[in-house]
Amino acid sequence: MSRRQILGIDRWGSLPVLAILLSAACSGSLSTPPPTAGTTAARQEGATSKSRPDADETAGQDELGASRPEVVALPSPGSPLVAVRLMFAAGSIYDPQGKEGLAALTGLMLAKAGTTGRSYSDLLESLYPMAVSIDVTTDRETTTISAEVHSETLTGFTALLTEALLRPAFAESDFRRNKQQLEAFLLSTLRASNDELLGLEALEQMIFRDHPYGHAPAGTLAGLAAITIEDVRAFSESRFGRNSLTIGVAGGYPEKFPEGLAKTLSALPPGNGELAPLPIPATITGRHFTILEKPTRSVGIHFGYPLPINRSHADYYALMVANSFLGEHRTSHGRLMQQLREKRGLNYGDYSYIEYWHVPPFTNHPSPNVPRRQQFFSVWIRPVVPSTAHFALRNALYEVDRLITHGMSEEEFELTRSFLVNYSKLWAQTLADRLGFLMDSRFYGMDYYIDEVEERLSELTVDDVNRAVRKYLHSDNFEAVIVADDAADIAEYLESEVPSPMVYNSEPGPGIREADAVIERIPVRPAGISTLPVAEIFESAN
Amino acid sequence: MPLPREEKSVRPRPIQIALMLVVAMIAAGLVSADPAQDKVFPHLVHQTRLDNGLKVVVVPFDSPGTLAYFTVVRTGSRDEVEPGHSGFAHFFEHMMFRGTDKYSEDEYNEVLKRMGADINAFTSDDRTVYHMVGPASELESIIDLESDRFQNLRYSEDVFRREALAVLGEYNKNASSPFRAMFERLRQLAFEEHTYGHTTMGYVEDIKAMPGYYGYSLSFFERFYRPENITVLVVGDVQPDSVAQLAEKYYGSWRPGYMPPVIPAEAQQIEPRAGHINWPSPISPFLMLGYRVPAFSDTTVDTATLDIIAQLLFSESAPLYRKLVVDEQWVDFISGGYSDHRDPYLFTITSRIKSDDLVLKVRQAIAEAVADLSTEPIAVERLERIKSNLRYGFALGLDSPGSVARTLSNALIMTGDPHSLNRVFGQYQKVNPEDVRRITRETFKPETETVVTLSHLEDRPGTDDASEKSKAEVH
Repeated sequence: MSRRQILGIDRWGSLPVLAILLSAACSGSLSTPPPTAGTTAARQEGATSKSRPDADETAGQDELGASRPEVVALPSPGSPLVAVRLMFAAGSIYDPQGKEGLAALTGLMLAKAGTTGRSYSDLLESLYPMAVSIDVTTDRETTTISAEVHSETLTGFTALLTEALLRPAFAESDFRRNKQQLEAFLLSTLRASNDELLGLEALEQMIFRDHPYGHAPAGTLAGLAAITIEDVRAFSESRFGRNSLTIGVAGGYPEKFPEGLAKTLSALPPGNGELAPLPIPATITGRHFTILEKPTRSVGIHFGYPLPINRSHADYYALMVANSFLGEHRTSHGRLMQQLREKRGLNYGDYSYIEYWHVPPFTNHPSPNVPRRQQFFSVWIRPVVPSTAHFALRNALYEVDRLITHGMSEEEFELTRSFLVNYSKLWAQTLADRLGFLMDSRFYGMDYYIDEVEERLSELTVDDVNRAVRKYLHSDNFEAVIVADDAADIAEYLESEVPSPMVYNSEPGPGIREADAVIERIPVRPAGISTLPVAEIFESAN
Repeated sequence: MPLPREEKSVRPRPIQIALMLVVAMIAAGLVSADPAQDKVFPHLVHQTRLDNGLKVVVVPFDSPGTLAYFTVVRTGSRDEVEPGHSGFAHFFEHMMFRGTDKYSEDEYNEVLKRMGADINAFTSDDRTVYHMVGPASELESIIDLESDRFQNLRYSEDVFRREALAVLGEYNKNASSPFRAMFERLRQLAFEEHTYGHTTMGYVEDIKAMPGYYGYSLSFFERFYRPENITVLVVGDVQPDSVAQLAEKYYGSWRPGYMPPVIPAEAQQIEPRAGHINWPSPISPFLMLGYRVPAFSDTTVDTATLDIIAQLLFSESAPLYRKLVVDEQWVDFISGGYSDHRDPYLFTITSRIKSDDLVLKVRQAIAEAVADLSTEPIAVERLERIKSNLRYGFALGLDSPGSVARTLSNALIMTGDPHSLNRVFGQYQKVNPEDVRRITRETFKPETETVVTLSHLEDRPGTDDASEKSKAEVH
């Protein structure tokens, strides 16, 4: 009974379990020198370096004496649970050109495939009585293999996990099955089953055009078709080695467990532990619209642009307060949510972001272990009926501009800061999440992120926040993705700049009609509008 | 309609309440004192009931500084018995966030924002659950806010009409999911009388008509949002006696008056039913099957056996899973099982199949696996492996106050008793190979099967099954 999910409809979002299952395999700064994974990989100006007091930091010793793999341990002796997370610097940025999807496919061939000692079916059969699943998530920068296990079964589970990593069989039938999973994710899930995930992924591809972040971790159809099993074997040697691995362990494990696991996994091939340098994302000039055309009853709108900072930068925390005020994910109090949904009934939800958010239709809080050196600002307007899409876009632009022009008041700042200081603690309620955020903090070269939020925010003033808003937020230059059925209609009204008056089914609240009179005439000023039939996205790298 | 609030001056002082409660709880034997070492749910459960019928369940949990506060209403889309009102329980859940005279919507949001609480709600067939995770130090503020809106909700018709559009937006965001479309069709075909025939989201025509039902919404609140139909569940860093005192203080004056609906019974299904959805975008074909099963039970082995059958057929260790996913690779996904329901419901099977020509083969493979289960007794050792999986899986799921509360809320919805959890796991231990054979034979009968398929057929737009009225729901 416990493992059965209750299929419910949340007030601010749904949790369609099957959809999650079908998307779980694939998620979705500036030029920096290539540091070593897991240490100072993405640290930016203003990062602190204190250690978290209750975290153990040990390091396995390989036969060459190097401290790889790195270990992050979070003991909780009273807990009956143990979380194990193995984060490799092996994300989709390492996919060779023309073989997009190789990192994700290799991750699957380690976590969801047989070994030289047992078939995949036998591996599943061995894991089954423990109720354990070895999961894998590939993002742009990293691939994380993870599991949560009862402490009573830790020994048996660890033997199976290490066998999967150290003795992969790379069997042809597993290769075919896992490759088809990725193809199905692109063809049936993204293109045909979830317009929101589709729009979110497409936006990233537009923002990071001609950049290593510019294709989905699941790859492209042409890329997947070109990958051979030898490619997987070679990629596993080069990117899934001990030098690119950070081991995370949390919970009620025996005292020597972390170093024992590190010692066992030091038998991985050394591999390349250096992070690939990232180019500066191309400058976006003007407002560029891509209309992703497909049969659908509504219109989803996304826009965004690269940000030059990530959570290791001091300014990130000032921007975090402003972003929460503008559009905190899946809460009712952001300005976008209040103005578009609550005051005008335009749709189900409206949010903004200053970093990548993992599968946002299904997650309420930030997910750990999807760290990125380069981030982006984005606004997500959930599906609206076609007749209000033009107004909804203008309303969102109005709110972004309003924040830039007026900033936050002292009162708004204090309330939002208070919210974030408490709310951020809820992001790490489970041992697995705490461990994940701690590992990410290593990636960013900073102190434990959840503590950092409180410390940084306590030092902020409203002037800091408004300064960060003026420095980093704008609405003049962005990429936008619109998922819609009638691209020609949208292109026509975007270009013509016709007014888009709202029609209400009841009298809106005070001041709404007056504001609408301004919003309905805001110039969108598209610098370019292109239409992309849905059948063409994910075909090959841009 | 909002009920009048009593003045604070007429309430007993807290110390009096505490004494009364302790005496009452001991007399009634309602405090669970067994730490349940041998039971699957390991935490101490404290429960009491106020004079007005409100049940209060408290579970101390090791989550320093944090609590989960759930208000569990035993009303869901199952209760939508009036024609044209499908989806209304869910819509009403939205309205519960619209404020009272004491705390306007903005004030309510501001208090919760300041404390950094994570607040939301969900509705399904048998339940509406309002859930919050927040600082334990704010317990009284939370009880004040939550008790107020459940007793004194007030909203205007303008606000009501506007929120109906947000519900339509929610429908629209889900509309691109083939699962939603298939699930809607499956239920429509499988249930001709019972309210399980519509989804919790409701039919789109009913959603579009929602703005006109302001008066109905007020009566909905009157009938269903009453203390006898609700449990307040608190899990986390709390003292049970403190919660009990505060519950009496803030909920004690709530007037009872729950009016249970008459849910129409579903006639026995005597012939198979089928439907097809032509998906507008190219997509791998889907198969969804439903079989009638009895209501949830923790006093017989029926529900427990269905859970074990689901494991035998669809877990990663099942021969059928191995055949379809790993060896033959005909499907990239298959799942099946029964989700707890208060009334007789469905055992459902869902699969995404790699090509149209494999759909019949997959159906045949499922039928063969079911036939094996209904004839060949399963090995006791295999049963024990499944029971081990269920037990460890349960323990792994109890990793936060919110997950504990969500798990307990399911037991409260099914039977009103949190100890139902342990009783179901007790039933797992009783299940024997003959039970598996018997329940398999009783469940998977051709005449009680409902099947929905979905695929992309370029030259055949629309749907082609007997339920013409549902065409508008699938696009």
